[in-house]
Parts: sequence; C-alpha cells; structure tokens
Amino acid sequence: MPQQDNSARFVNPVPVAAAVCILLPFAAYSQSASPQKTERPQRESLPADLPQGPAKPGFEPSRFSNAGNGWFKTFYVTETQPLQNALNGGKVAADTRVLVLATAGGKLALLTDQMSYHHIAEGTAGRKTWMATF
Amino acid sequence: MVCNSGASLVPSIDGSLHHFNNVGLYDALFVMQDTETKTLWNHITGEALYGPLAGRTLGPIGNLLPMNVKQALESDPRTQIAISDQPYLAGGKQFGSGGAMHGGAGTNGPASNAKLSDMFVQTLGKEDTRRPRMDLGLGVWSSESSRYYPLELIRKRGRAFIDRIDGKRTLIYIDPETNNPAAVFVNASAAQFAGSDVRLDDGTVLRAGVLLDRRGKPRSVQRPLQMFTRWYGFALTFPGSQVVGQ
Repeated sequence: MPQQDNSARFVNPVPVAAAVCILLPFAAYSQSASPQKTERPQRESLPADLPQGPAKPGFEPSRFSNAGNGWFKTFYVTETQPLQNALNGGKVAADTRVLVLATAGGKLALLTDQMSYHHIAEGTAGRKTWMATF
Repeated sequence: MVCNSGASLVPSIDGSLHHFNNVGLYDALFVMQDTETKTLWNHITGEALYGPLAGRTLGPIGNLLPMNVKQALESDPRTQIAISDQPYLAGGKQFGSGGAMHGGAGTNGPASNAKLSDMFVQTLGKEDTRRPRMDLGLGVWSSESSRYYPLELIRKRGRAFIDRIDGKRTLIYIDPETNNPAAVFVNASAAQFAGSDVRLDDGTVLRAGVLLDRRGKPRSVQRPLQMFTRWYGFALTFPGSQVVGQ
C-alpha cells in the first residue's frame, strides 16, 4: 500500500501530548475518589494506511487526520457477566455510568469510562455480531 | 469522544465479520477503519466514507443509551455487562489495570465548558452556527428527519415535554439521576415532573427510565434513534437538522 502517497494528502498528525488536553475534557469527576492520572508518554499518531478511494459523495479526504491512530484499542468482548452479579460483587456501583445496547442475546452494558478509551467494542451474542462506538 | 456521540452498529458485511479500529478524525469525530478492506467509516451512521466499501452501511443502527447501573437493571434485570482491563471508577474506587485513566464521563456527564483543540478543529467542515459549537443537546433522527433539542431548551420546558417526531408522540426529558436527555415514544399528550418521576397524562409514569402503566407495571417502550451529543457533531453528521425552539 503506497501509504506515504496517501497520507500526504491528509491533515498532519500531532503529538499525543497536545491531544490529551482535548481527549480528556470530561475528566471533571465528582466522585469521592479521584482517578489516578498518570503522565502519558509522548508519542506520535501512526500513519494511516489508506486505500485509494473511492470517496462517498461529500467526503473530503483533505480533512481527514490520522490524529489518534494507534492510541486506542478496540474492546473485543469474549465474555460477559450478569450486571446484577457485577453489582453484588462490588465491581460496579449503582451510579456507575454505562452505555447500553440491544444485542441478539439481550441487553449489554459497557462501562462509559472504558469506552472513552476503547471507542469501539465488538462481540457476538445470540449468534449475531454487534458493535458499539463511542 | 469529545462530541459524546455513540451508536450501535453491525460489524458484519455480506456475512463476514470485520474488525474496526479508531484511525483518526474527520469533522472532529473519530473515524473507524476496518482492517479487512481499509475502508474509513463514520462511527455514528455506520456509513463507509472512503475506500472500496464506500456507500455501504454497517446497519441497522441502534441506540447506545447512556444510563447508570441501577437504571440498566430496572430496565432489564437480565442485562449483561462486559468489562475490559482498562481503568474505571465505581463506588469511589478505581478498578482495572490496563493503563492510565482515560476521560470518562464521570457521574456528571460531559463537561459543558469543553473546547476543541486545533487538532480537531482542522478537520471540521463548514459549521452550522445556529448553536454554539460545543452546545450539548439531544439529537434524534430517523430516515425521514433529524432534529436537535438543546439541553437548555429542555430545561426551560420543565425538563419534560411531549413533541411529535415523524408523527409519533415522543417524550423528551432529562433524566434526574444522570442528567442525560433522552426520548421515548409514548401515547400521552402532556408530561410533567413530580419528584423524580415524569407523570404523563395517560396515567403512565416514567421512573428511572422505565415506563410504568397505571398499575405500576413496566411497559415495553420504543425509542427513536438518539444521542446525547454536542451540536457540532450532530450538525455535521446530519446537515440541515431542525433545531427545536429556534
């Protein structure tokens, strides 16, 4: 794939450190315990490995940026547990924020905190594939 | 994500499972790419933007509804949960070991004073200036229409009111526990808060996100496609949307 040729047409990448400022705008936690935040190592976004098109009408390739490429990891779900058990076991609290979707296997909750990192989760339930994006 | 938007999609194309990653930004929204074809995809509509599958869609689209654990269980006690190794907060404790804490929504939802950095701004298309870029609201859409309810407007209208979406009566409300705006199809023509309940004039009550009939029994509900989002993300994804109240 002629990656260099394609990426040259797109918006330049930026260092991670600059991006973290905006990727964390929601970090105004009100819970009693503040999360432990660690300094992220400064790293560059990976070059995007792009095809040669075609583009959907209206899509402007020049506005695509590879910012964030390689920073996040899709959550491939291989196991779930009853939410009630997770609550009873202290893994979640009653006010813990979740994102709920309907799958062929029933309702499935994903932790909002975790999806703020993963952005994408994929799995199979009831023999049908599902995907959540956030 | 900054714009707080999310959706439920189907990652199979022509019966084949594809694997998706976050590879960048467009319109200040994250863009997905499937490893099988390298096609770029819109993460809200599931539309292929660029690549060999351009024009295809990862549908049908469903809701990814924000709520808390208590509400999820009251809505459906059989709800399952998937937990990864990434850090998260619950009950004042931090769980997970997979790295540093990322920007979750906490218990208060997205911040109203967030700003977009240049990294995001340079990917924006022509913005719709009817609302401030980072304005928060409820976006609702169907194949026929799309409309945006500013959070501010929902508050001004008593945090609960009935509107019609594609001809269907719809309760627009702000959940008192999570402060998330949401929409649900109902039969009522008027609604108002009574404590933490939304009382509807057909005798039903919305409590903790669950619609109860006159006898207090849960009723199954239908919801329009919706997301609690920032204006820029909704407006660029659904150009020409109606802005309710203006």
